[in-house]
Amino acid sequence: MITVKNLQKSFGGNNVLKGIDITIQKGEKVVVVGPSGSGKSTFLRCLNLLEVPTGGEVWFEGQNITDPKTDINKLRQKMGMVFQQFNLFPHLSVMENITLAPVKLKLQTQAQADEQAQRLLARIGLSDKAHTYPNQLSGGQKQRIAIVRALAMNPDVMLFDEPTSALDPEMVGEVLEVMKELAHEGMTMVVVTHEMGFAREVATRVLFMDNGQILEEAPPERFFGAPKNDRLKEFLSKVL
Amino acid sequence: MDQLYMIFDKFLKDFYTVVVENNRWQMYLTGLGNTICIALVAVFIGTMIGLIVAIIKYYAVNNKKLWLLDKLCDLYITVIRGTPTLIQILIMYTVILSSVKNGVPVAMLAFGINSGAYVAEIIRAGILSVDKGQSEAGRSLGLNSNMTMTLIILPQAVKNILPALFNEFIVLLKETSVAGYIAVQELTKSADLIRGRTFIGLPLFISAGLYLIMVVGMTALQKRLERRLAKGDNR
Repeated sequence: MITVKNLQKSFGGNNVLKGIDITIQKGEKVVVVGPSGSGKSTFLRCLNLLEVPTGGEVWFEGQNITDPKTDINKLRQKMGMVFQQFNLFPHLSVMENITLAPVKLKLQTQAQADEQAQRLLARIGLSDKAHTYPNQLSGGQKQRIAIVRALAMNPDVMLFDEPTSALDPEMVGEVLEVMKELAHEGMTMVVVTHEMGFAREVATRVLFMDNGQILEEAPPERFFGAPKNDRLKEFLSKVL
Repeated sequence: MDQLYMIFDKFLKDFYTVVVENNRWQMYLTGLGNTICIALVAVFIGTMIGLIVAIIKYYAVNNKKLWLLDKLCDLYITVIRGTPTLIQILIMYTVILSSVKNGVPVAMLAFGINSGAYVAEIIRAGILSVDKGQSEAGRSLGLNSNMTMTLIILPQAVKNILPALFNEFIVLLKETSVAGYIAVQELTKSADLIRGRTFIGLPLFISAGLYLIMVVGMTALQKRLERRLAKGDNR
């Protein structure tokens, strides 16, 4: 579904990604871990071209998204993204946040979008918040709504950029719960996170990135149980 | 007591002379009308120019193809902000549009072009004040850059822009008083004409009062708009 070939990204003279190769199949849940500054967020943001790669290719559903001729807006409709800082639209109500894109892109009528939004909100137990504004919500509620907003576009893949890093500890659980549910339903997911428990439980594959490269990739049992790379061993000894 | 009475009596006589006599009140109304018309049209032109310039400059940061437009915008802002409004008005009236004899449309255009440079910087700052994550969220949902700008960035920027923008509108309203230099009978000119004919200073106070009332009205409008835009702010 997603194929990344020799992906490179540099900011000025700073090489953040030094050649990433990976193929992600439909239904996979890939979790990316690694120390701060290792390039994992940049890697994720290159997948939907929020960062424009300086080298290499990214293919999504048979199209080269790094080709300037590709209609990136069309492809992004199929790639949901959840941000560390939620990025809900503060001037719109929860309902409007969720329905804005499907309606304005003419994928659904307002009535259809409203109905779907109600259904999605009910699923995360926030139906009563439909008409409140983001600033009246807790961090955990905001992030769950951000997830739902992305889901409202019926994406084929969901990208999560450290979705729990800006949350109070007591709110991390509710967000991970929604993500786990999504995983069980078969959504293809790429998750950058520091939540090792989530990686162990949900991932089909865990990647370890450091210094702009993937140093190890393995199913979670092997990744956590028998890591090969020395840098990963050191990393795990600190975080586990 | 007598002295107080005499002052009051003189005031009434002066007031009669500068307002009622020879239907002079009509001159204030003509002046007021011209001032309001010039200011309104100039605000419209200025806001349009400012919006366009600000958006060009916003996109030019990431789009190399716009560098020439970007430089032209810079030049426009530099020249307009770096030269006196009065000189711009005079150049417009006596050189660029010298064939137009009616000063009112010339003033509208000149003040609009002048205001645009200031509005551009106000709007640009407002756009930059919206968190980058907002546009990323919009783009990640598949909205194109124009939709992201109009649906997500600008509505939020407006709230930050409003105080500075109204400040600019207030300055503009008062600055139209220099239109008298190009033979436009706006409020200040009207008052000064009457003063010149009657040798009484009172008309200047009357016109000052009329400006003050307009500015107070604009401030009230600003407060109302700010309150309306504040929804979503309450925590």
